[in-house]
Amino acid sequence: MSVRNREWPMALALTPALILILAPFVWLVISSFKTEAEIGQADPFTWPADLMWRNYLDAWQIGGFGDLVGNSLINLIGVVVLSLITCAPAGYALAKIRFPGREWLFYAFILGLTVPVQAIVIPLYQVLFGLNLVNTLTGIVLVQVSNGIPFGIFLMRSFFVGVPDELIEAAKIDGASHFQILTKVFLPISTPAVQALVIISALSTWNDFFLPLIVLISPEVQTLPLGLVRFASTYASDYRLVFSGTVISFLPIILLYILMQRRFTEGLTQGAIKG
Amino acid sequence: MAGHTGGLSARMSERRTARAASSDGSSDGDAGTALWLMAPALALYAVFTLLPIAATFWLSFNSSAGFNTSASFVGFDNYAKAVYDPIVWKSLVHTFLWLAYHVVMAGGLGLLLALAVSRLRITQVFFRTAFFLPHLVSLAVVGVIWANIYDPFFGLLNTALTQVGLGAFTQGWLSDPALVLLSVNVASSWQGFGLYMLLFIAGLQNIDRSLYDAAEVDGADAFQKLIYVTLPGLREVTTFVVSLAMINGLKGFATVYVMTNGGPFYQSELITTYIYRLAFQSQDHGLAAVLCILLSLLAITITIVFNRWRARISQ
Repeated sequence: MSVRNREWPMALALTPALILILAPFVWLVISSFKTEAEIGQADPFTWPADLMWRNYLDAWQIGGFGDLVGNSLINLIGVVVLSLITCAPAGYALAKIRFPGREWLFYAFILGLTVPVQAIVIPLYQVLFGLNLVNTLTGIVLVQVSNGIPFGIFLMRSFFVGVPDELIEAAKIDGASHFQILTKVFLPISTPAVQALVIISALSTWNDFFLPLIVLISPEVQTLPLGLVRFASTYASDYRLVFSGTVISFLPIILLYILMQRRFTEGLTQGAIKG
Repeated sequence: MAGHTGGLSARMSERRTARAASSDGSSDGDAGTALWLMAPALALYAVFTLLPIAATFWLSFNSSAGFNTSASFVGFDNYAKAVYDPIVWKSLVHTFLWLAYHVVMAGGLGLLLALAVSRLRITQVFFRTAFFLPHLVSLAVVGVIWANIYDPFFGLLNTALTQVGLGAFTQGWLSDPALVLLSVNVASSWQGFGLYMLLFIAGLQNIDRSLYDAAEVDGADAFQKLIYVTLPGLREVTTFVVSLAMINGLKGFATVYVMTNGGPFYQSELITTYIYRLAFQSQDHGLAAVLCILLSLLAITITIVFNRWRARISQ
């Protein structure tokens, strides 16, 4: 039985599933170009008479999407950079250096991996309040980095464990410190782990809702998901604004994924399995 | 500091000698360096995770009516209050149902699509990419999207049902108390299944090809190969996906918050949404802390049970 014989029947059989799963996207994109009247009466998948690009302009301006995207980007870059700075050295120490209390630290990090952030939200808010970090992007970055630290450390550690000790011995003979070994030997050969950490922390930060909901109260510091929810409830009856605003919220990341499909897929599966 | 470090490394070298035989890949015992390398992560983690975990316990034994009021010790009063609060029980039952729905719908769809997609060669990347798209959308945005899909008048679902002649099935998907939890979970599962599908595909790639050849020699048909080779080969991934789906489900918050805010009549209230309501709206921190501990215990139990299960399978 050749592969080619099986390919097209299976692809054909999967097409209804594909249509059902992607229908929400198609429907939203089509509707986002309609007039209010067209949304009210016609078949959900009828093509609009004129493409109403105005909807996007209106939504962008009224919803302040420029600021929301900007805040989300600052948030994302902050979390990704800080996650690498904190998790790579800690993962290295846990993988390659023996020190007292290592087992205990390990259990402490497992605890953080398990306990949902919703379960610690009241003291978390109090800590942020005490440090004057409520309603600041610095606050949300620090909390999200801390939240991702257990996973990030496990990911880096499990990758570093597989690096042969001989590399460390050789570097030591050349007089390198642990920090130099980490930055000059380990990190350059750890692209898959770094890539997984970057993709997973970027995606979860970009999409996070719960922590921003607690920390970012004023509209001018809010991130994209939070801003969209506020926008959609304020303009709930203006469907064309809600639809185009929603498309603005998901389109960039979907285009990015389609361009970098392989990296995303590798990063996510690697991360899930290693971490 | 130097003396302290010296003392630690002296202790370490003793340990190293003692454990020389049971090396797990470690090469050096410089405890001071380890401490410095761990310091940034530990500092953040201690302040924003470990301290709040400890403080949650303390809070659960105290009563306070808001972030600015002082707390007073009340022993197990909050726990007693939780037992007599019918919404606590409702949210607990809903959370279990929510997990079951999510595992069956998102995990099940992930498995089915993985089995189908992994048979494709030329079009595999296309289908895999397309099926994964929903997972890229924030759960809050998914909430907004699906609230519109379920909209009784303009929504995609009711309009589409009417158009294909199934008008009898149109309903208020989010206003029917019996249906609301399932409706919201469909939205969450739509977002979640893509990652599980990728994990199952990775698991399928790890199954030894020769097992299929052997089965074929024994005259097994496609269905028998699925039952006797594929599914047993996926056991480890399956336990992983189920535990991941349960932990993800336990964290479920955004879709419910956005679509129904727990209603109607608390019929979609989860432990997480009730914690948020108590902590940030009705300011009952003591009761909220008890629910926080309940949520943590559930998460820890799920993790332990599945780790044991996985350890037994991989033996």
